[in-house]
Amino acid sequence: MSKITELSSVIENEYVRKWKDEGGKVIGYACVATPVEVIEAAGILPYRLVALGNPSMEIADAHLSRFNCSFCRSMLQLGLDGTYDFLDGLIETNGCDHLRGMFENWQYVKPSPFFHYLKVPHITTEDALDYFRVEVRLFKEAMEKHFGVEITGDNLWSAIEKQDKVRDRLRKVLAMRERESPAFTGAEVLSILLLSAVIPSDDFVELADGVIEERGTWRPPDFRARLMLCGSASDEVDLVGEIEGVGGLIVTDALCYGTRAFWKAGKEGDDPVVVLADMYLKELLCPRMYDDYPRRRDYVLSTVERAAVDGVIVMHNKFCDIHGVDNVQLRMDLEKRGVPVLQLEKEYGAKADFGRIRTRVQAFLEKIGDRGKAGDRS
Amino acid sequence: MKTSAQVGLFDRVSAMLEIVNKLPDDMSDEEIEGVLGLLPPDSRQGMGAFFVPRVRKAGNVFLKMIASWFLGAREARREGKKIIIVPFNFPPELIHAFDNANPITSEILSTIGVVALEGQGERYWDMAIGLGLPDHMCSSHTIELGSILGSEDFRPHAIVSSAPGGCDTNAKIHEFVSHYLGVPQFILEKPVDDSDRGREQYSKYYRRLVADLEEFVGEELTYEKLLRVAEKANKCTELCLELWDLHKAVPCPVPNIFSLFTYGVRFAMWGTDEAINTLQVMVDVAKERLGEKAYPAEKEVARALWVYTSYYFDLHNFFNWMEEQGFTHLGDGLDLFFPHHLDTSSRESIIEGMAESSWNMPMTRQVGSESMSVSWTEDVIYACRELNANCAIFCGHHSCKQTWSVASILRNELQKRTGIPMLVLQGDAWIKRMTPMSVVQDQIEEFMRNVVAKKRRTRGRGALATGKS
Repeated sequence: MSKITELSSVIENEYVRKWKDEGGKVIGYACVATPVEVIEAAGILPYRLVALGNPSMEIADAHLSRFNCSFCRSMLQLGLDGTYDFLDGLIETNGCDHLRGMFENWQYVKPSPFFHYLKVPHITTEDALDYFRVEVRLFKEAMEKHFGVEITGDNLWSAIEKQDKVRDRLRKVLAMRERESPAFTGAEVLSILLLSAVIPSDDFVELADGVIEERGTWRPPDFRARLMLCGSASDEVDLVGEIEGVGGLIVTDALCYGTRAFWKAGKEGDDPVVVLADMYLKELLCPRMYDDYPRRRDYVLSTVERAAVDGVIVMHNKFCDIHGVDNVQLRMDLEKRGVPVLQLEKEYGAKADFGRIRTRVQAFLEKIGDRGKAGDRS
Repeated sequence: MKTSAQVGLFDRVSAMLEIVNKLPDDMSDEEIEGVLGLLPPDSRQGMGAFFVPRVRKAGNVFLKMIASWFLGAREARREGKKIIIVPFNFPPELIHAFDNANPITSEILSTIGVVALEGQGERYWDMAIGLGLPDHMCSSHTIELGSILGSEDFRPHAIVSSAPGGCDTNAKIHEFVSHYLGVPQFILEKPVDDSDRGREQYSKYYRRLVADLEEFVGEELTYEKLLRVAEKANKCTELCLELWDLHKAVPCPVPNIFSLFTYGVRFAMWGTDEAINTLQVMVDVAKERLGEKAYPAEKEVARALWVYTSYYFDLHNFFNWMEEQGFTHLGDGLDLFFPHHLDTSSRESIIEGMAESSWNMPMTRQVGSESMSVSWTEDVIYACRELNANCAIFCGHHSCKQTWSVASILRNELQKRTGIPMLVLQGDAWIKRMTPMSVVQDQIEEFMRNVVAKKRRTRGRGALATGKS
């Protein structure tokens, strides 16, 4: 596990360096709606952009504003300060207004050699699915044209199979975390998830198999309650560690960089482009989908039940409207069912905020009190 | 018994507008003063902006149009018709075409509430925030929607959400209200795609919306019904374009507050007789002033295009104050909806034309396009050149994440390609708590005197023109 923790805490990790040293190309993307199989099928390493809690934003703030999400500002900072210079291309998606602004400013100030805009509908009607199928095809063609490769159907099926293996390992990790005596802490699982999107899939599967075996009978340190964490895009392992440090073990989540990323799996079909488009759009559990709240709510409710959660923390980055509003609906729906909820607004990467967050979580754990099942289970 | 805190924005404004509706068209200064004197301070300040002598005639007609819209919706509900909330970037003429449905526009309701009510919209904003909604939501619609969520207000039967693709905060709050109230939400997504494929997709979505609304209202939109509003919409277009051209004159004969009136008409009543009447009076007033070379200050010091929204919590000290200093407000981003003539030859052609109008609505057309900055920048540069602007101002409404995302690109491109400087302000356009109007005025004045006017003097052209009215 320590190897994974270490690898996931640096942006240009040793696998990326090795890949680049061997002449490989790397493409950055941010949104979970990006079918990474298309990139992998081109023989290119897909790299999900992270900021890893970077608190510096002074270059980014000359372009974005303080009314934009600090996660996007932090990523833009790393794009402009040279941290991401190892990337050979960027894939923009219209995930949210902040993300669009992040990519647009990045490309305006420091154009990437390859830049493609994958347009993702906000609805899942048949019309929207048709549109997205063409979008995925255009994405494939743009990759082929720029990188001078042919992405065949077989290449795509093979990439789907590889990513299915990644998703399979992640589901195993999730199941082990959700068990009565969790095999991982929330911070560890977030590290595993982050790593899964920034190294070659075969390497990840090997590392994941190792850690799954290692943690077979592991038991977590004492904790006060089993919590679920939901909300805005965040890769802040430290923040999860802070929550767990006061006794709230994160046994499951509904985070963009967390479990929302891997429920999909390659389905049967004749055309892999259609399979990918349908899989990514239909399974997109994100509040940027405006006709899909009931599915998100049901996902959270069923996870609460399955993981025997004592309470739910819904958090959003300041100025994140899509999660900020969804969290209110979620809070109402959870409270209606008697599930304790803590609604948190936070700044990304602001370690100065950790003290306040610890206090809020401690108070929440007090509120949960005897309801907590931790005592019965640890 | 209802407490005043429970009375919703719609009902309170309706009560005010019932009185407005009864006022005669020609009132003397003394009569106006007497009527305004009966109002509490916030309402007096807000409503007073419409009755300054140089805008009174148009202000009166505009308020009566708004009254007709409010009271019409109330009456429609009593008659069992469907009340459909639409956001500002949805052309309401489609709903006006139904016999059995009425549109009400969230942002117009909020704005009129802020203008007309004692305490402005803050009570309703607080109701929304009290539910746990984030304070970075947009007050433009959250004020009205907060009223619906938190008080005994006028309830809609359905919501049209046309912001997906253009604005997250707008799309998200309408989705929330739909779930909270248990009323259906009809989504019109704007693909962020400027290609022909993107346009075709939008057209498909629009046609789907028309069919869904027909089913919901239980009424077919026949050619005759669509023609009725399309012909009136075309008349509105003609008048609106005439008004656009009148802005080009130096000094500008169009009063600053007409910017608000123009999109008030567009977002609420386009395609109706009341809209035509209001725009006609506005054109007549501007033409009369053009003939007289009338201008409220000694000199027209600056001609400013506001690149997105204006400020609405103190219309008098914003619009009227600026022109009294010689600062012309040429319009703002919400005026950039570029109306066009609808082809009335068939039902299909009208619907296709309405889809095109919808594509061109403000925000949708600019930041809802493929690039958030490119289309916005092109429109702003076009408007600046067409209207002889010599400066631009971004009001910096705090919740406009998408415009804030690319405002720096707009400022850079504007400066680089036209030499026009852009002032960036920060505030809440509908709530005075964040930046008071006195601060906004100071910042505008400093910019105009120290940057814009100096730049003109450096170039040796002096002031643009003189006039006084």
